Amino acid sequence: MKQYDAIVIGGGHNGLVTAAYLARAGKSVLVLERRPRVGGAAVTEEIFPGFKFTMFSYVVSLLRPEIIRDLDLPRHGLHILPLESTVTPMENGDYFAAWGDHDETRRELYRHSPRDAEAYDEYGRLMHFMAQAVKPILGMVPPDPTSFAPSDLAGLLKLGKHFRGLGAERLHALVKLMTMSSADFLDEWFETDVLKATKSASGIIGTFLGPRSPGTAYVLLHHYMGELDGVFRAWGFAKGGTGAVSESIASAARSFGAEIRCDAGVAKVLVRNGRATGVVLENGDELLAKTVVSSLDPRRTFLQLLESDQLPSDFVSDIKRFKFRGSSGKVNIALDALPSFTCMPGIGRQHRGAFSISPSLEYVERAYDDAKYGEFSRRPYMDIVFPSMIDPGMAPPGKHVMSIFVQYAPYHLNGGWSDAKREAFGDAVVNTVESFAPGFKSHILHRQVITPLDIERITGLSEGNIFAGELALHQLFFLRPAPGWAKFATPVRGYYQAGSGTHPGGGIMGASGRLAAMRILKDGV
Amino acid sequence: MNYDAIVIGAGANGLATAHYLARAGKRVLVVEQHQTADPSADIGWVPDAVIRDLGLTGAGLRIETPDPWITAPLPAGGTLELSRDLGRSVEALRRISPADAAKWPEFCERMRTLASVLERLYLVPPPDIESTDVRELARIAGLGLYVRRRGKQIVIDLARILPMSIAELLDDWFESAVLKGLLGALGIWHLKQGPRSGGTAFNFLHHHAGSPAGVFRPPRSNVTQALVGMKGVEVRRGARASVLAKNGRATGVVLEKSGDAILAPLVVSSADPRSTLQPVAIELDPDFSRAVSNIRARGIVARGSLALGSTPYATLCIAPSLDYLERAYDDAKYGRDSASPYVEVQRTDGRVEVHVQYVPPGTHGDLAQRVAGILKIQPNQVQLQPAAESLYHGELTLDQILFMRPVPGWSRYRTPIEGLYLCGSGTHPGGGIPGAAGRNAAREIL
Repeated sequence: MKQYDAIVIGGGHNGLVTAAYLARAGKSVLVLERRPRVGGAAVTEEIFPGFKFTMFSYVVSLLRPEIIRDLDLPRHGLHILPLESTVTPMENGDYFAAWGDHDETRRELYRHSPRDAEAYDEYGRLMHFMAQAVKPILGMVPPDPTSFAPSDLAGLLKLGKHFRGLGAERLHALVKLMTMSSADFLDEWFETDVLKATKSASGIIGTFLGPRSPGTAYVLLHHYMGELDGVFRAWGFAKGGTGAVSESIASAARSFGAEIRCDAGVAKVLVRNGRATGVVLENGDELLAKTVVSSLDPRRTFLQLLESDQLPSDFVSDIKRFKFRGSSGKVNIALDALPSFTCMPGIGRQHRGAFSISPSLEYVERAYDDAKYGEFSRRPYMDIVFPSMIDPGMAPPGKHVMSIFVQYAPYHLNGGWSDAKREAFGDAVVNTVESFAPGFKSHILHRQVITPLDIERITGLSEGNIFAGELALHQLFFLRPAPGWAKFATPVRGYYQAGSGTHPGGGIMGASGRLAAMRILKDGV
Repeated sequence: MNYDAIVIGAGANGLATAHYLARAGKRVLVVEQHQTADPSADIGWVPDAVIRDLGLTGAGLRIETPDPWITAPLPAGGTLELSRDLGRSVEALRRISPADAAKWPEFCERMRTLASVLERLYLVPPPDIESTDVRELARIAGLGLYVRRRGKQIVIDLARILPMSIAELLDDWFESAVLKGLLGALGIWHLKQGPRSGGTAFNFLHHHAGSPAGVFRPPRSNVTQALVGMKGVEVRRGARASVLAKNGRATGVVLEKSGDAILAPLVVSSADPRSTLQPVAIELDPDFSRAVSNIRARGIVARGSLALGSTPYATLCIAPSLDYLERAYDDAKYGRDSASPYVEVQRTDGRVEVHVQYVPPGTHGDLAQRVAGILKIQPNQVQLQPAAESLYHGELTLDQILFMRPVPGWSRYRTPIEGLYLCGSGTHPGGGIPGAAGRNAAREIL
């Protein structure tokens, strides 16, 4: 029986990145994916004939540039189209728009508040700088502050030096970003409510927190770290949807010799004498490998694929405590025509960007209040894009696809999710859009409503958390996923973790997968 | 009469600073806006160092140690009483949840260990992480080593727990709604945050500092009264004082009503940083002024007294669950008084005092009636004073503590104005620890 150097469980973008890096280093690698196609939560599927949807994650920005470079992804079909604007319709019929053209955005902001227009540049510079300051941390294995090992002490010292090198003002800004709520942080800069609401929305994505909850300012920064072609805070679509990102990484991995098998769900990791030796598939087949890597989330990596007696009991309770609490849903809609929004009537360049349904801080905070007590938001926060406007191949000629990211939809809904509840949630979404774009409903040909429970069932992400574990301060860095085990190794020798549940966390970033591969290569396969 | 130093405010911190300075041989004048001293009790840990240094025991300091330290009504009738004795608390808890009773001793011990780290940090100036001074770096390394020596678990707990919400922390440990409610209340104490907001676990530990294991309410004392009774400093009452400064130097204070100026080369204010610095704003650079105006110090608590002869309990807590507290916070988020507020009644020295949260600034309509309704007493027995600003002169959130308090980079009690210092609860270590900031400031000045 063939023994692989490494078996990677899960063909999401992180698993594929790990596989590609290992194969590139000359290892024999097998990727096992439970679903019929690779991508995990980064997939493009033709849900209704002729209409292609990025089922779950829908924008690209965080993918590490070094991965694009190392794996030569453009040669494997990666093509990113910029997403240029964000328009926020307001309840009074006005709007706030941020355009690709910086000066135009400033003029628009001036209309709302001259003071904010002045502060906008300074704020942009600070966030740009902060994102750059944090960037090295994304590419670093987190040192363990509880350890006295020389490598950990050296890592901590390096980190300390890095932060002190930022200078007082920026260091203070960093502490604020790490601890404050996005609303409080933005209150220090701006007075325009709709601007703060729209900006703070990126601080709540994927969290079970509202814009006034401390900890959301960090998520704000996390989303600021996006970088396309060296341009920070640039978001885009992948041509062919996010599935094309996964396909390009898979293609790169195959070009280095990795084998990828779909429809091959893993039931258990084989452990002999405290060492991982391979996997058992759901169909009972056994496959052997010197190293086994799981890119699934921590709960499934440890509590499902292993028996609890194969792990230290403290570690098991740490993993059980790791929080998921999925809070977002997705509604994918096939349209026979684009909707016209009251605030900016007609069809135009605004449809080439995003519409953010975040008219005020209070609106977003109230959406959170519903979820806090176990209900989906009656009037949710939404991020709406029309991928077919940028990539016409996504829909039949003249028709369109619409992707609506929705928050909040708690995984633990009162009474549980049912088909009726799913449809009620879909109705809440559609009716809220209709209130900003009357006539929208009459253009709907099909709609697909995805709840956190559906995300869990389809992708396997526990509780439907899109980051494979909440991006909360106490679940980051050397605590992700558990203290002492944040360096991609696990308590089982030869078993590694590579998913977004490890440092530095979610988004289509690939950093976890890359760092895991480097760790495995360093340990020697 | 010439003074070496003028202290603004005759609260615990202002008086502590004044007495420390007086003991170092300075002639000190304290100016206080209120004609009479506030009769209400001081709530919070009075550090042993302050008691010892100033001889407060001899000055009549009384610290109350009520036992049971808390009484909370149970939904099915009866009450939960937690005692200073861990064993008795375990017995009491066993009647509502055997699982919680079993975890109580370990929880208390873990929290005590963490609070002891805070206690150590609170009696010295906050670490200056930007410093390049070798002594300061050595001091920071020493603090780090002190923490690390106490075991690996404490480092992990500090990093994990401080940024957490108190709800998450308590959900990790307990199942009883009443227990989580009464503990959770300490996490939101004086904070415009709900129990599900990050950082409230820190606020919980902050208020546990100075208490023995298993007691999660700060002690009550008469420390301000004891300080008022002490000789050695002159106190002038009934006049609000503003700082005078010229060419970047403090020159004294001016009394608001009379317009009299009193000169001194050193002015120390225990008033909140914003109102202290506002009169001398012209001397400050815009970045510093902006930082001061950004201090979050939102009023959220109404304190007052109840006209009751006595009570059958020392402390009564009305916070039946974390959701109750969270809903009380929801109202405040949108600028309204909590429809069902968190209410805590404290019997002290023959007075019955009350803490009501959340009460944001605004009109308070029937607040007294609602509180009376919750306590099943008459509205005219309730006297409440809603605070327009945080009684801690700055909320104790993670971005406003240690080297970020009162404003980033100015945590050493100094201000950009030479000769003007701060010593109130707006500075490190913050509110709820009467005398600690006063002591740290005085030592920094000297």
